[in-house]
Amino acid sequence: MNSRDFAFDPAYYGLPTREDLVAYRIWDSHFHGFNATATPMAQYRANNLYVERMGIERSITLEAGGTLRQPLAPAAHDAEMRLLLEQERNRLSGITPIDPGFPDESCAKMREWIERGPCIGIKYVGGNQRGIVCSHPNNDPIIRYAAELDATIYIHTWLKVGGTPRLPGRDNNPGESTPMDVVALARRFPQVTFICGHTGGDWELGVRVVRPQRNVLLEFAGSDPHSGAVDLAVRELGVDRIVWGGHGPSRSYATEIGKVLDADLSRADRMKIFGGNFRRLAAPIFRRKGWPIEI
Amino acid sequence: MLAGARAASGAEPGPAVEPPTIIDTNVTLFGWPFRRLKYGDTAALVAKLRRHRVAEAWAGSFEALFHKDLDGVNTRLARECREKGADLLRPFGAVNLAWPDWEEEVRRCHEGHRMPGIRIIPGYQPFDLGHPELPRLLEVVKQRGLILQVVFGLEDPRVHHPVLNLQPVVVGPLVEALKAVPGARVQVLSFAGNAAGTDLQALMKDTTAAIDISRWESNGIVGKMIGAAPGSRGARVPLERVMFGSHAPYAPVETAVLKLFESPLTADQIVAIMRGNARRLLPAV
Repeated sequence: MNSRDFAFDPAYYGLPTREDLVAYRIWDSHFHGFNATATPMAQYRANNLYVERMGIERSITLEAGGTLRQPLAPAAHDAEMRLLLEQERNRLSGITPIDPGFPDESCAKMREWIERGPCIGIKYVGGNQRGIVCSHPNNDPIIRYAAELDATIYIHTWLKVGGTPRLPGRDNNPGESTPMDVVALARRFPQVTFICGHTGGDWELGVRVVRPQRNVLLEFAGSDPHSGAVDLAVRELGVDRIVWGGHGPSRSYATEIGKVLDADLSRADRMKIFGGNFRRLAAPIFRRKGWPIEI
Repeated sequence: MLAGARAASGAEPGPAVEPPTIIDTNVTLFGWPFRRLKYGDTAALVAKLRRHRVAEAWAGSFEALFHKDLDGVNTRLARECREKGADLLRPFGAVNLAWPDWEEEVRRCHEGHRMPGIRIIPGYQPFDLGHPELPRLLEVVKQRGLILQVVFGLEDPRVHHPVLNLQPVVVGPLVEALKAVPGARVQVLSFAGNAAGTDLQALMKDTTAAIDISRWESNGIVGKMIGAAPGSRGARVPLERVMFGSHAPYAPVETAVLKLFESPLTADQIVAIMRGNARRLLPAV
């Protein structure tokens, strides 16, 4: 059996075949192939088996340059990462994590990894040592520079229930943004598009938080699968505001793809969520770098 | 080749294996207390399961989370299965060790409703697995030849409704209780285990409990768990104890079925997980 073979036909089980998955043109905008391991390159290579099986067209790693735990500190594999992003440009893209606690250093990193490097965007990670969320004024120079570069902007968000009295968002990490933070930031930059990650953490609330802010897209990745979630998001936001991520290898492509398959959508709308909407967002920076992109 | 079966592309055609239908060991009927589920209506759920070739589903009741009148819960569950999914749904009644007279509830499930098993939901039901009557429950289900399903992670605690403040349910006391009652037929549902994997290891090493795949996460997780992934250093869960479970209608059925294609499994491995192992635990009607 080679990596693309299935023992039975998925269509028999009401699922897309591998050919169907390939035809969806899936861009995984939330790829953790290099995260949380002592051997990130080996993990990336091992994960490619599942990229092949699930017909993923492009993976966009969120940890290009540094690490998610220490975004501004060089990682041992940085040089190898740069090389890989060049060599595998046809199927791998990089987004570099920044830290709004250190806006000057973050902009310097963006210059190194985006303007003069291979990356296409920035990521706000799920917390930082100074406890600065994305709505803080520190973020303005970062966003201005990102807009100048046509860089994509991904913001990890969550609404972890906790505190006294218990409420969603009160158990977030220091510096871990909420969807409310994303909306506050997006209001200051109405011409810039933001991705609110993890559907806000709590999708039923996150959808309604971002709904009025039309320059905010909502990302499905890295949370449990809930039947009906994508339906609700499409109903409230419209299909053009939904992007998809696999969050592998810590999550299953099966989990994340299943969320979209569960929804009552046309094939064209599934294609938008699986990749079309992100490609539309990333097209300007691809063209700026002289890379081909077909939306 | 039989309809639905597919030869490996580029491979020599081998003997055709008929695609198996699925036994879903983890579905739940009636309303989830915090959201109206897309396939929460039983008829819609049954139709959805059939679309994905589920031919048999072991069904509990979401009413068991908070209701005190479990006789009513179990009576409605039995009726719903009979009336809306007689050839597909097999009811698993609820008992609650924190409520009185639970042994009578087991008796009614078994003798009255002819249920093949019992489901408990520690955490939501106000007891944990250290409850002093858990060994007695294991004895009772063993004597009656019932299956006991123990439900763990119904929902990510980070998104619980704020009025819920559930304590984490740890598996250790279940492992100890099972050592004292060998031969009890137990399946854990929606079990992910701790990050270190030590509780899963204990469950697999020290008991014969079966497990469903609904909570397993990571690319290729099914293959990794059974030791079938490339570079695998062995099984964390013996293949013969792994069973298909979707956690529908809370979760999309598609996620669980697609996991079996995400991993590079052989036909024999898929057949075992889709239905063979479950059928061994619970014979056909």
